[in-house]
Amino acid sequence: MTSGAATAALRLLGVLLRSALTVGVTLTALLCVTFAIASLSPVDPALKIVGEHASTATYAQVRHRMGLDLPWPRRLESYTAGVLHGDFGVSQSTGAPVAQDLRRVFPATLELATLSMVVSTVLGLALALVSAADPRGLGDALLRVLSLVGNSLPIFWLGLLALYLFYARLQWFGGPGRLDDAYEYTIDMPTGVVLWDAWASGVQGAFASAISHLVLPVLLLVAYAVGNIARVTRAALLAEAGREYVLLARATGAGVWSVMMRHMLPATASIVLTVLALTYTNLLQGAVLVETVFARPGIGRYLTTALFAADIPAILGSTLVIGTCFVLINGVADLSVRILDPRT
Amino acid sequence: MPRSDSSTGSSKIARSLRRRVAALLIAGVWLQGACAAAPPQVLVVAQSLDDIVSLDPAEGYELSSMQAFTSLYQRLVQPDPDHPQDIKGGGLASGWQGGPGSLVFELRPDAVFASGHPVRPEDVIWSLSRAVKLNLSPAFILNTLGWTAATVDEHLEKLDERHVRVSWSAPVGPSFALSVLGSTVASIVDERDTEGHARAGDLGNRWLHDHSAGSGPFRIRRYIPHEALVLDANPLSPGDAPQLKTIVIRSVPDAETRELLVRVGDADIARDLGPDQYAALRDRPGLRLRQFPSAAVHYLLFDTANTAVPELANPALWQAARWLIDYQGIAHQLLKDQYQVHQAFLASGFPGALEDTPYRLDIPRARSILHAAGLDHGLSITLDVFNQAPFTEIAQSLQATFAAAGVHLEIHPALTGEVYTRVRTHSVQAVWLYWIPDYFDAHSTASAFALNLNDGTTSIAERAGWKIPELNALTLAAVGERDTVRRLELYRQIQTEVQRNSPFVIALQERSQLVMRDNIRGYRQGLNADMVYYDRVTK
Repeated sequence: MTSGAATAALRLLGVLLRSALTVGVTLTALLCVTFAIASLSPVDPALKIVGEHASTATYAQVRHRMGLDLPWPRRLESYTAGVLHGDFGVSQSTGAPVAQDLRRVFPATLELATLSMVVSTVLGLALALVSAADPRGLGDALLRVLSLVGNSLPIFWLGLLALYLFYARLQWFGGPGRLDDAYEYTIDMPTGVVLWDAWASGVQGAFASAISHLVLPVLLLVAYAVGNIARVTRAALLAEAGREYVLLARATGAGVWSVMMRHMLPATASIVLTVLALTYTNLLQGAVLVETVFARPGIGRYLTTALFAADIPAILGSTLVIGTCFVLINGVADLSVRILDPRT
Repeated sequence: MPRSDSSTGSSKIARSLRRRVAALLIAGVWLQGACAAAPPQVLVVAQSLDDIVSLDPAEGYELSSMQAFTSLYQRLVQPDPDHPQDIKGGGLASGWQGGPGSLVFELRPDAVFASGHPVRPEDVIWSLSRAVKLNLSPAFILNTLGWTAATVDEHLEKLDERHVRVSWSAPVGPSFALSVLGSTVASIVDERDTEGHARAGDLGNRWLHDHSAGSGPFRIRRYIPHEALVLDANPLSPGDAPQLKTIVIRSVPDAETRELLVRVGDADIARDLGPDQYAALRDRPGLRLRQFPSAAVHYLLFDTANTAVPELANPALWQAARWLIDYQGIAHQLLKDQYQVHQAFLASGFPGALEDTPYRLDIPRARSILHAAGLDHGLSITLDVFNQAPFTEIAQSLQATFAAAGVHLEIHPALTGEVYTRVRTHSVQAVWLYWIPDYFDAHSTASAFALNLNDGTTSIAERAGWKIPELNALTLAAVGERDTVRRLELYRQIQTEVQRNSPFVIALQERSQLVMRDNIRGYRQGLNADMVYYDRVTK
């Protein structure tokens, strides 16, 4: 191995170790903070389970079963030990192990957020390029409108409006749920990713139904995400526009689009990757309103229901999963930026 | 980079093909949306299932799970869907004979579980015993018979292959015992089927969270928490088999989305819509608005044990409050007839319910009561309410009418669980709550409003800190009374006393409304939460 390659390998190892340390510290802090907040909740989780009319003996039994009669350090210790063994406890609101619940709901959110992210990235970058190429043109105006709509209109209201227009009135797309009733509970969903499961089932019409039901929620999330991606990318491109290397490239006779695609866009990669990472994590955790309006399962809805039910194991489990995603995605983005831009 | 404009013939064809494929895909997607409708032989119900904790009848005690139990399980006795006050119409027992402190039940000869196993006395004994021993949320209902985990087995005896004796140690009459045995926690579970899935001494509790082992008209095909409960018709169902093969109860948390589903036809029934939604759908073609009485009564409670405001224990405040609620305005204008005025703790439709409504909004009268009691010095009270419709709207109405008499109500909206926690710790001053009976017997409600034995936090009277030795004696006498007519008369007497002078102002009774497609026939629903019947539904 040459000394240059060894240095690069060592540098990469250092980055990986630092990232792992960051992940560990962040997740530990997240666990402690979430546990503290859940413990301070004014809702009595045992009462939530036994109901208002249960006897004192039943209430005491449930409190004991949930470990609520233990001091909080013991509860935190016991919970942490469980998490380290992959056991997040049993959800009080579903009666199932939290890990099992998360395996069911997380793929649905991942699918929705990833599809939305792919569409948002393509549209957002295209809009940013068009807008940056002609900062006062039609594309720029369109970008402003999209940003305004995506950021100012409540997504909950926009979702209901979309459902009313495209599902109830025009009947162009499927409505709430992930599939039509004819397929929803008849095909197996081993992966929880509806597009894959519907395709793999081989049931005629199931795949088209899955796409039909995904169109509106994906477009909703795209409307929310595309403006942010496009605006930040546009600003980064315009900041590069006056640089010497751009002027030089233009002076050599290269076209506007060629310069933007081959020189300016790569130069803004670190900014674009950062905004993409942030948008993706926001979509993963922030799809709760779309999941609620469209009656789709997902980790956002699972967490919200758990919050209302003071379901501490479910709150802790889903917060840890979302936190892990946040740290991992941002870690990958940081790593990619370092690889793409050796100056960082 | 120079833009290439040299399109060849083959690339044109490829582009044309791509466009066609895209158009077909989009058309296919649109067609899917356009053709969507609830399939025939399947009833699709849109409601929220977020409240379900368990579908084990020994544990499930939420509205949605109780609605499901009637479709999944039978009890020894249960009300006839068409005549709810007659408990001889349904259930696994074809008859019974009463003795002192006991009843002997004869099982129907054709009673059989969905698994194919016949229903045996052993199943009856095991089911009742297991519910007491598990001691989960609804176990307190069976505890009212004096049964504990240590003693329950002494009270259940197999006489022969078709007869079982059930006895009790509590001083209650047989009509009360029958009501308790008709509650969902007394559902009869298939012992042989369930024991095969038991783990670590849990008596099958974990398995029954999302499976069923009953003899009702349906059985669980699939339960996905927060998503759906799918029931298949039980071909071995008692009487005629259900008309529809499948019931899909979809969990749709948002009321607006439920409305859209039923409007489009993707759902056949939508529950729990808001007053404005019902009003908007009332005359819409293809839909029918159905209204059923509900046993839920809403009331205002003053916590007399809260020493921060001593006036809360002053009966003059209780009296004035009775004239400071706009009963008619709230029921008819604010909540658009989703409620009716009802001023006694037993809901209208319950045996022994008091139908009198002596109170109305009368601010001058309330002012004079407060003045006479020296409470006209600008009293300020906090009012806790659930932070959701219609509770916040009701609280605002109360705030306005109480203010007119010089009583300032400071509204404290909070999560349901938080409000209940505050009530149990005597942290509220006034609170607006609702009550749903645990089983179809007057004692369920009377023991809540008119029984304070321990001064604890179990009954509503205890939570209000209301000390009532005379009423306690009357309530206990009523539950032990063997003469049904005399018993109901005692309950009317107790209701009159609570209506006249108590820290509760009972004001409204709910009406359960739902919207269904106009091709749906045969749906029945009764007063209590568990009285939801899908077995005769056709579409």
